Amino acid sequence: MAAKFSVNDKVLVETKGSKYEGIVMPTLEGQEDVLIIKLASGYNLGIKLTKEVSVKHVGKAEKGKQPSIKPPFRKNLPSISIITTGGTITSKVDYSTGGVSPLIKPEEVFLATPELLDIVNIKKIVQPFAIWSEDMTSAEWQVIAKEVAKELNDPEVSGVMVTHGTDFLHYTASALSFILKGLNKPVAIVGGQRSSDRGSFDGGMNLICAAHYLKSNIAEVAVVMHGSTQDNFCYAIRGTNVRKMHTSRRDAFRPINELPLAKILPDGRIERMNKILNLRSDKGKVEADVKFEPKIALIKYFPGADPAILEYFMEKKYKGLIIEAAGLGQVSTNEKQKTVWTPTLKKLIKAGVFVGFTPQTIYGRIDPFVYSAGRILNEAGVCYLGNMLSETAYTKLGWVLAHSKNLEETKKLMLTNMAGELIEQILPKAFSD
Amino acid sequence: MTDYQEIGLKSGIEIHQHLATHKLFCPCPSELRQNKPDFTVKRELRPLAGELGEIDPAAIFERKQRKYYIYEAYDDTTCLVELDEEPPHLINPEALHIALLIAKMLHCKFPDIVQVMRKTVVNGSNTSGFQRTALIGYGGFIETSFGKVGIQNIYLEEDAGRRTAETPESVTFRLDRLGIAEVEIATAPDCKTPEQVKELAEKLGMLLRSTGKVRRGIGTIRQDVNVSITGHPRVELKGVQELPHMPKIVDIEIERQQDVIKKGEKIEPQVRNVKEDLTSKFLRPMAGAARMYPETDLPLIFLDSNYISNIKLPESVESVKGKLQELGLSPDLVNQLASSAELPMFLAFTKKYPKLNANLVATTMLVTPKEVKRKLQLQEFELHEDIMDKVISALDEGTIVKESVSAIMEELAKSKQKDVDSIISKYKLMSDAELKKEIAKLQKEFKGPPDKLIGVAIGKFRGKANPQKIIELLKK
Repeated sequence: MAAKFSVNDKVLVETKGSKYEGIVMPTLEGQEDVLIIKLASGYNLGIKLTKEVSVKHVGKAEKGKQPSIKPPFRKNLPSISIITTGGTITSKVDYSTGGVSPLIKPEEVFLATPELLDIVNIKKIVQPFAIWSEDMTSAEWQVIAKEVAKELNDPEVSGVMVTHGTDFLHYTASALSFILKGLNKPVAIVGGQRSSDRGSFDGGMNLICAAHYLKSNIAEVAVVMHGSTQDNFCYAIRGTNVRKMHTSRRDAFRPINELPLAKILPDGRIERMNKILNLRSDKGKVEADVKFEPKIALIKYFPGADPAILEYFMEKKYKGLIIEAAGLGQVSTNEKQKTVWTPTLKKLIKAGVFVGFTPQTIYGRIDPFVYSAGRILNEAGVCYLGNMLSETAYTKLGWVLAHSKNLEETKKLMLTNMAGELIEQILPKAFSD
Repeated sequence: MTDYQEIGLKSGIEIHQHLATHKLFCPCPSELRQNKPDFTVKRELRPLAGELGEIDPAAIFERKQRKYYIYEAYDDTTCLVELDEEPPHLINPEALHIALLIAKMLHCKFPDIVQVMRKTVVNGSNTSGFQRTALIGYGGFIETSFGKVGIQNIYLEEDAGRRTAETPESVTFRLDRLGIAEVEIATAPDCKTPEQVKELAEKLGMLLRSTGKVRRGIGTIRQDVNVSITGHPRVELKGVQELPHMPKIVDIEIERQQDVIKKGEKIEPQVRNVKEDLTSKFLRPMAGAARMYPETDLPLIFLDSNYISNIKLPESVESVKGKLQELGLSPDLVNQLASSAELPMFLAFTKKYPKLNANLVATTMLVTPKEVKRKLQLQEFELHEDIMDKVISALDEGTIVKESVSAIMEELAKSKQKDVDSIISKYKLMSDAELKKEIAKLQKEFKGPPDKLIGVAIGKFRGKANPQKIIELLKK
């Protein structure tokens, strides 16, 4: 019968005809009847724990030493601060257990990317929390924004890097774009699509290019990640017009409706690609205006969508909705259809709920004047948000609602460009491959 | 003569064999491509901090040299998995089946649960920086005429990219090979003579081919030989191309080890590369306890013992050979056929044409096409099964003679295997009456010495008449 044993124990296992010696590895929940051991060869092997199996405890595996890193200081290099928040870029496989976990010490980032220390001095590393990005809420954005502002206001700091999980990285990027007021230095948001324990870690070049970005004069919140599937350059993309467009590729982050702010080579060369840029200045202080209304939702209109789903938000006293509308900005306005949306939308707006439309095509802008449906909806009080990305509209709405007194003001603020999110001139080049 | 027992020779091999199925963790074909790649991708691999957390100075040095890798890929046979842009798909079930079959043929035990591992690889041959590999069997054996040899482990793993070019700053790999499913068989160091090593490699090769489920051709099988004598730790010899050279390679390594011991040089386990002259060159130190960690993107694989006991084993090569001998085949043809992909076709023909000489069937199938290929200097020549059937059926009916077969095949090769019936009928035998008439005519016209007439007649009617019949008619 199986004896008691725990992870990292050295055990001798005997079953019918076979003997194994190895180190106990963790198993997943629901697989308690399974023993996974690491053999001397490094291979793992699993044994079903039946009555015939005997497990003898023979010792304990040696634990690896924890690294100690003191980043050196170089006088001639500018300094940056790093806020680490979790995600793949700061996670690694624990070789003894095989699980992917956040780095124990944020300093471990340099182990995977020691060249960073030839580009900048790391003044400070702050780790307010370490979570996967899908677990983030507006409360975490507020914490990050406060840390970023604090570091930016340190005169010795040239710029601030935020490392982040990639799934919802673009939400945080746009949220920071609205929360940080008076931005006068660069802020780079960086993620990785491959973890740092593998040779093909893509976050390394992202960190290097982000460090170069923080030395530049571009005072914008930008996502800095791979610009192609190759390890040849990164793009710095405006935090309000960026989206994760692929589940797994290195170059998943793409600018939408505009060109990247800059192309950054790992050797430090920076090529500006966008004329609309806020530049570095020594004047003023950065403020983190973190008030945020969390009672908002982002929903997608789909064929035959029942307008009754909107009632839920009214009952639960939501303050605003962003609806991803079809094509140029349509939902059903046909009174003969059971699923007509207009009456319910009117009801919501009358109750003081903000309703904003964004393009579910992702690229392009919506326009209420092309089709009669658009005109009817516009008339009903729906706010057409132009080219604004749904995710950006969502974070902007949370900020705006916390800063406006009534629906009229909310509408006005939503249609006022704050951080490059409303693009007047969409260039043809912004939609090629 | 070296007394191998006295010097304490211990030797074993590792065989890597490609499996005849698509790639292990994606649906791309296992096809090595010769045409120009459609696109290339430039990547770098980052030095990994040691498990203890120190940054390896050598790794940083290498990094400063800006070493990068170029991967060659194809629009239609490379997917995001090989490019390290998508997680691996679930393990190819056919590859797992073939690997388990091989392990079962080698009398292995099976783990209850298989976990795919990542083996760190730093030479750039894997886009991910590691090779995926899984232990699927262990503790088996294979018989040789010198005694049993243990099978330590059998792994199912993905092959690496194929090195196609190198500059001081970069190495180029082609991704056609990356991800091809292969089994690695590691034997125990139970071989006590170099001859046994060679036999072991032959036996394992034959066993693999007898499954009918392994890839054939250049680059689809690779052998490494492990050699150690008393006083010298294990040395792994890579790049052993031809099995007949194996004993010589082992002998040369034994001498080298004896020399090193005698000179009192520092003795280390190491990996060496076999050169063309069969001596070897130091390649790298033997990897310590390999850095392995689980492939976290894949679930555990539970092996069902019923599934394994239901895997049907192919007939052993020995028993196939016995059957072929019973058919009266020459020993040479028995050996050629027993491990040939043509075996099922041959058996079908001998069943269909039981009166036809089995040696003639085998020669027509295996030997003549090779001769034609060589004579016409063709890249490839293989008759389609239905065309081969027409030729053999004509032999069976006696409408053509065996002397005509190679001429028929030459014409078929030239016609790209078209107009089969008209080509065969050109070589049809003359009827008895026709032959009688022609021979009478020849006898009348022939002016040379009478004893030369037989030779001239046989030459003139080659492929048109049975020589035996010609002699008979001339005697009359």
